[in-house]
Amino acid sequence: MATTGKQASSALAAPERFPTAEAWRQGLRWRRWRKLFPMLCGIVLVFIMILVAALAPWFAPFSPSEQFSAYVLKGPGAGGTHLLGTDEFGRDLLSRIIWGARVSLQVGLAAVVVGFALGVPLGIIAGFLGGRVEMTIMRLTDMLMAFPTLLLALIIVAALGGSLVNEILAIGIALTPNFTRLARSLALTVRENDYIMAARALGCSQVRIMLRHILPNAISTLVVIATLDIASAIRTEAGLSFLGLGVPPPTPSWGNILSEGRQYIKCCTWLTTYSGLAIMLAVLAFNLMGDALRDLLDPRLRGE
Amino acid sequence: MFQYVMRRLLLAVPMLLGAMSIVFFALRVLPGDPCMAMMGDQATRDALKDCVRDLGLDRPVVIQYGEFLWKSVRLDFGQSFRQHYRVTDYILRMFPYTFTLVLASMVIALAIGLPTGILSALKRRNPLIDYTVRIIALLGLSMPVFWFGILLLIMFSLRFDLFPLIGGGDMTTVLDMLTSGEFVTYPEDFLAAVVDVLHHLVLPAFTLGITLAATVSRLSRSAMLEVISQDYIRTARAKGLSERLVVYKHALRNMTIPLLTIIGVFMAVAMTGTVLTETVFTRPGLGKMLVDAIGARDYPLAQGAITVFTMMIIGVNLLVDILYAAFDPRIVYS
Repeated sequence: MATTGKQASSALAAPERFPTAEAWRQGLRWRRWRKLFPMLCGIVLVFIMILVAALAPWFAPFSPSEQFSAYVLKGPGAGGTHLLGTDEFGRDLLSRIIWGARVSLQVGLAAVVVGFALGVPLGIIAGFLGGRVEMTIMRLTDMLMAFPTLLLALIIVAALGGSLVNEILAIGIALTPNFTRLARSLALTVRENDYIMAARALGCSQVRIMLRHILPNAISTLVVIATLDIASAIRTEAGLSFLGLGVPPPTPSWGNILSEGRQYIKCCTWLTTYSGLAIMLAVLAFNLMGDALRDLLDPRLRGE
Repeated sequence: MFQYVMRRLLLAVPMLLGAMSIVFFALRVLPGDPCMAMMGDQATRDALKDCVRDLGLDRPVVIQYGEFLWKSVRLDFGQSFRQHYRVTDYILRMFPYTFTLVLASMVIALAIGLPTGILSALKRRNPLIDYTVRIIALLGLSMPVFWFGILLLIMFSLRFDLFPLIGGGDMTTVLDMLTSGEFVTYPEDFLAAVVDVLHHLVLPAFTLGITLAATVSRLSRSAMLEVISQDYIRTARAKGLSERLVVYKHALRNMTIPLLTIIGVFMAVAMTGTVLTETVFTRPGLGKMLVDAIGARDYPLAQGAITVFTMMIIGVNLLVDILYAAFDPRIVYS
């Protein structure tokens, strides 16, 4: 079939519809930025929170236990100095929330470190050695997995008693099975690689292979999950404190401020509103960071 | 298949046993003394001693453990330390409250989470839809369920006075009328009782359902992304099917298996949620019972509640595994 002049010109014109190199690069930049933006938001929020928690004595306008008898249960802006209002003892809410950040972040970060330190070695040993060792470790993990994180933390913290260290241990132990399972599945994949066989052929000890070859190849995924688990640990800590099983008063934690404020929801909604908002922001920040990290590190999602 | 089901059932036994043992020993090292918790600081030493003997706490732990396991097999969790009623009876009374809450929140979570997750996956080239859904899901995921519950209480119970502030409604009447057949003779009373129960259920169910919808939305989004990247979807498009048919006939049908996984995950998260939701709404149920029992050092009650929670989670996961095989002929269990 003969090609008409019009068809030929449209065929020639077609490539013009494709983006130019510059437009393509711009699109790429936009897509990258779109992916990086949530992570940046997360990082900035996390950074601000850590800074505020670490420098609480400087940021908080008052001591968290200082009582102002003239300002009991006063709303935001009371006396021009209590920006978020005061609680039933006349304590400044903003100061308590700032000091409460310490408990939440300490528990969140330390619990994940405990879970990581307990779970990852167990998982790698299970995945790498296999056999009876794997079966024993995994059955124990399955038993712990039968409990949701909060329920397991609730039992442990009830057994140990409410304190900062016990809360960290309880949530850390409750997070352990997640790390064990993930580390095991990563170890199972990594151990099939040729470089593991090469390491064995060179006479490396099993401990060396696990430490120098398996762990470094699994660490990036584990770190991403750890970031997401910080969010989960902060939420669990708040839940435990809300149920009255967290850090005992008068030490402020977001969960116990919310729990105390619950008794006054008929008159003083600011107590529950702002403490809950703080919990949500902290969880959101770590979720944003973890999500974006996962998107960047997971090649399957990179094309999306 | 039968062999597989039997093997899974047998495997669930040591798991349950292990979980129950963890609970038993964790509660035995509780710092608080149940007698002290019951009688207060003023109790004399003799009274405390009598109390310990009455509750059987002076016997060796191994004997107590053996008795606990032996009785638990027959679903007998002993008597509550505080109120002296049978724990099994109490659990049976509380179970319907928790069950209806989980069921209602599941319906809400699936009704909101599934369509939004699927839509977000299908329209992922449209940043407005995809990003809106993802941001809302992320906010929902970050929102503590007890805070959301309190916000709903402030708004709908205190401001607008639409729903009750506390309680769970008269579930006992509903169940009694159902079992005795009175609901036929007194339909109006029955209907009133049902309405009362539902009235008390709305806010807790929405609290739990909406926060869980975020999890469901994210899980269904990634499940849908997985499905639509399969070869059979490309084939369906290549043979000229409309996008509508591709989605309805090929993609959605293959979502059944991921949906089962979602329901399995949902159960564990919902159980945690009921503990907090029931506490926020002062609603009777297994979760609130557990928190109260731990506070009062009521071992049998706490053991019973946790055992039932664990049984439900293990049971649902078992059911999900079996349903996988029933729904997907490609899965053959050896």
